[in-house]
Amino acid sequence: MQVRQRWIAILGAAALCPSFLFGAGTISGKVTFTGTPAKQHPIDMSKEPSCAKQHNPPLMTEGVVSGPNNALANVVVYISAGGDEPNPPSVAVTFTQKGCQYGPHVLAMHTGQELDVLNEDQTSHNIHPLAKVNREWNKSQPPGTPPIKDKWDQPEFIEVKCNIHPWMHGWFAVLKTNHYAVSGADGSFSLPNLPPGKYTITAWHESGAKATQDVTIAGNETKTADFSIALKPY
Amino acid sequence: MKNFKTVYLFSAILSFILTAGYTTARAQDVPDVGPHPAGKPVEMESHIGNLTGHSEAAKLPYRRYCAGCHGDLGDGQGENTPWLDPKPRNFTLATFKCRSTPTGTLPLDSDLYNSVGRGFTNSNMPIWNALSNQDRANLVAIIKTFSPRWQKEKAGDPIKVPSEPPVTIESISHGKALFTKLECWKCHGPEGKGDGPSASTLTDSQDNPIRPYNFAAGTNDSRFKCGSTNEDIYKIFMTGVDGTPMPSFADTIQPNDAWDLVHFLRVLQVHRHGKENDVLKAAGGNIPPYVEKQAEAPSSQPEVRAAGGGK
Amino acid sequence: MHTWKQSRLCWNSPRVQSIVTGALVMIFLLLSGSQNASALPAFARKYGLRCSACHETWPILNNFGLKFRDNGYQLMNDRDAPIWQNPGYWPVTFRITPVWHRVSQLSNEDTYAGGVATGTPNDALARVTSSGFDLSGLDFHTGGTLEKNISFFVLPSSDPTAAFHFETVMARFDNIFGSPWLNIKMGRFELNNLLSEKRMVQLTGNGGIYQTYHFIPIGDGNIFGQLGDNQLGMEYVGHSYNDRTRVSAALLSSSDGNVNLVTGANSYSTYATFDQGIDLGRLGVDRFGAYVFAGQAATYYPTSGGTPIPGSGIQNKGFSRVGFTGQFYFGPHFDLNVVTQHGTDNSWFGQGYGNAINPTNGSAGPPLNNNVPGSLLPTGAQTPTWNGYTFEARYVYSPQLIFIGEYEAERMSQQANGPGCNTSAGPDCWSPSAGTFTAGPSPSNLGNINNYDFLIRYNPFMTSRAGMALQLEYSLFHQIGTGPTSPVTASSVNINTNELMFALDFAF
Repeated sequence: MQVRQRWIAILGAAALCPSFLFGAGTISGKVTFTGTPAKQHPIDMSKEPSCAKQHNPPLMTEGVVSGPNNALANVVVYISAGGDEPNPPSVAVTFTQKGCQYGPHVLAMHTGQELDVLNEDQTSHNIHPLAKVNREWNKSQPPGTPPIKDKWDQPEFIEVKCNIHPWMHGWFAVLKTNHYAVSGADGSFSLPNLPPGKYTITAWHESGAKATQDVTIAGNETKTADFSIALKPY
Repeated sequence: MKNFKTVYLFSAILSFILTAGYTTARAQDVPDVGPHPAGKPVEMESHIGNLTGHSEAAKLPYRRYCAGCHGDLGDGQGENTPWLDPKPRNFTLATFKCRSTPTGTLPLDSDLYNSVGRGFTNSNMPIWNALSNQDRANLVAIIKTFSPRWQKEKAGDPIKVPSEPPVTIESISHGKALFTKLECWKCHGPEGKGDGPSASTLTDSQDNPIRPYNFAAGTNDSRFKCGSTNEDIYKIFMTGVDGTPMPSFADTIQPNDAWDLVHFLRVLQVHRHGKENDVLKAAGGNIPPYVEKQAEAPSSQPEVRAAGGGK
Repeated sequence: MHTWKQSRLCWNSPRVQSIVTGALVMIFLLLSGSQNASALPAFARKYGLRCSACHETWPILNNFGLKFRDNGYQLMNDRDAPIWQNPGYWPVTFRITPVWHRVSQLSNEDTYAGGVATGTPNDALARVTSSGFDLSGLDFHTGGTLEKNISFFVLPSSDPTAAFHFETVMARFDNIFGSPWLNIKMGRFELNNLLSEKRMVQLTGNGGIYQTYHFIPIGDGNIFGQLGDNQLGMEYVGHSYNDRTRVSAALLSSSDGNVNLVTGANSYSTYATFDQGIDLGRLGVDRFGAYVFAGQAATYYPTSGGTPIPGSGIQNKGFSRVGFTGQFYFGPHFDLNVVTQHGTDNSWFGQGYGNAINPTNGSAGPPLNNNVPGSLLPTGAQTPTWNGYTFEARYVYSPQLIFIGEYEAERMSQQANGPGCNTSAGPDCWSPSAGTFTAGPSPSNLGNINNYDFLIRYNPFMTSRAGMALQLEYSLFHQIGTGPTSPVTASSVNINTNELMFALDFAF
């Protein structure tokens, strides 16, 4: 019990400091999928010639982006319990519209962290985050205009779309933690700089499928946590 | 024996009433109006000018006038919702079309008050101006009880609307240039008929299909969802129509330029007898090209045909 | 003094009456819990609004429903034209009311001699009480828009024996030139009364009409001044955008709504109204208004074979009804409605001339009195004038439960038969009970009415699809000197009729 109290005291002290300076544990792993994912199809951008000409062959929709060995990309893996980081980082995250596509497709950020939206295309877009818990807003962004800046108060997975270009879909994963990662094309992710403690990790995919694991970090170890997301064809 | 007849007759009537009334009563049980987060209904006030509205006083009027479409819980799931298009407003989301405040912020009480009194054209939302002002203010207050956002957030700061400059052909011409540059035509179409390239794929925030406003349709009435005056148009595109594909252009248009766009949009309403249409007619029915001060980045856009001609 | 005849049901016991009535009242109160509150159900189905949106309690209109009606049954959101409806939508509503009621009224019973009716009245008047299950007539409403800003209404209506007539038939041009101040209607329609008789809730025989809208002095032959009857004509209506100010002016045929040109070439009347709604904050929107009904109707019909020739009426005389109207809200639950009337009929009407249509109150036949050339107005004939008052108080517990109490008073201020009647100088005045010109002056209160009506009305459900109400009503009607002639006093007794009714009112 005394050991635990000591760790709680240290953790409590850690809560007052920027947490990325403290703790060196890491949770990493791979995200794979089971089941049959929904079929993706090519995007017809003919209504926007300035974008269509940039993509030959056409882009595919990004509802499910998978890699070799059933790797699943664009999965947000984050600490859902056990961490305590009330302060958002002071750097902004960036969401770009280029070639009539959002980059990144899934953007994770902390509540209260500044979000910059850029339009690098020659056509107007409108940014329309379909928030249900946070405020829903909708702003037009013509080409050559400054970035749109905003921030989110509450944790939520927010679908983002452009009404002018209906194929454009993206996601904001607004989280209460700074310990998150978005899986890459090979399905891998890494959550570094974790103080010791017992954590619940959640993996979220935009199809709505989730998976959760409990991982305990003691000291500077690296723990592996793989996730398997069950996908359905529709 | 005559006494028994009386007794039987009225016992029959009584049991009839009891059975019929009681069974339909229980079958129609609905929860009290308003959200029940911890079992306690919320009470809110509204302030419009000198009027103060109270949500408690709106319970009966809400049931009478509103709940059939907006639902007893204000969630837009009234008994008639399946047959309505557009769907009734879901007050629990606290997203409103018609505001004086920036996109994503809560409207002023007066915005809701005006929306209730104006109704929404091309929808099933009636024009409730026959109600007393106090009833309307009370209904605004009860709308604010349906979403917890109203208790945590204040309404947005209303946008500043500068005074309208005179209607000139140059103003209309600049408006047309803005319409082209800002790519309004992508949804609204080059003549504002709601037939732009993206029009057919538009969906609102609940994924229901939605059409962009058709400026060319309509008679002298020419109402918009959010009003009918030039100032109303100004506010529409400077605050966006939240919950729909129509974004806010507040970050991209200078306030004075915005009035030029208003004047051009009026000219797209070809059936309306307005000052802007008169000015266009006096100028020969053609909008001269706008002389820009600097070269613009090239953008993909079709030829925007001269609108109206005063017809 | 008269004795009460024993009725078959021992309902006469006041104790039994009050116990059962009280129990029924309690039942209604118990059942009025918080319910889904929601007319013409056809309108409710078309627009997806609950009945309660337009109706204080169906069918009484509230301010929003009044605006809907003034707009030509349109919500004015460009969705009113029939093209917006599913083609299967049929703008039809029917309403019919099965009832149980008990009516008690006075009557002359014949005497019997040797087991045979003699045809002469008894020594005493009889109170006849009858009761049983019964039906109302059927109303078949169809109304709405033919096109944007062109509305219509057709209402074939039947009596309980399924004998149909056209109660309302009209087409209307609404919002001409886009202005709510210009609406023109033509056909057979209810007059623009702020307190509407056709949309009242009362169902009993005497309570189911407003006496002020139908008052005819005793012996008066003018049936054409009845505000409560639907009339044939054209009507202009103008109203402000929010319906606070309303004006109307109608040109009507003086036919009391009867078709086939039964009166004459010059029988026209006009009806004009004005009312203003004032927003009184917490009290609600109160209305004050006034009306004028002025017209002419014929007093002479040439006859053919003794029967008046329809449409031949001439020698028109005038009549008028003027008054104030008020609709006073005291908060969301209570309102008081008031109508006053000052009525005047020409002296010829007072002496029974005119009315070739319904001389004996329903059946066509020779006029009571035909103003044939050479007729003289009896000496002592006066212009019958009267003042009428209607007070209707409503307590709306919820849109589904309403209590109504109504009182009406009609007071003659000048009788048709004045002090100069039945003197040696000149012909005598008209005696309706004797059917001849034999009468002397009338008592000053002859024909005065006191009418009371109380009811509770409960809607077990109120949605946007159909309507139903359970109603318990009691009506008490007094009129002076129009009852059967008492063989004891040889003069007409006062009418004293009461009715208790339980009704199951429904509409789809």
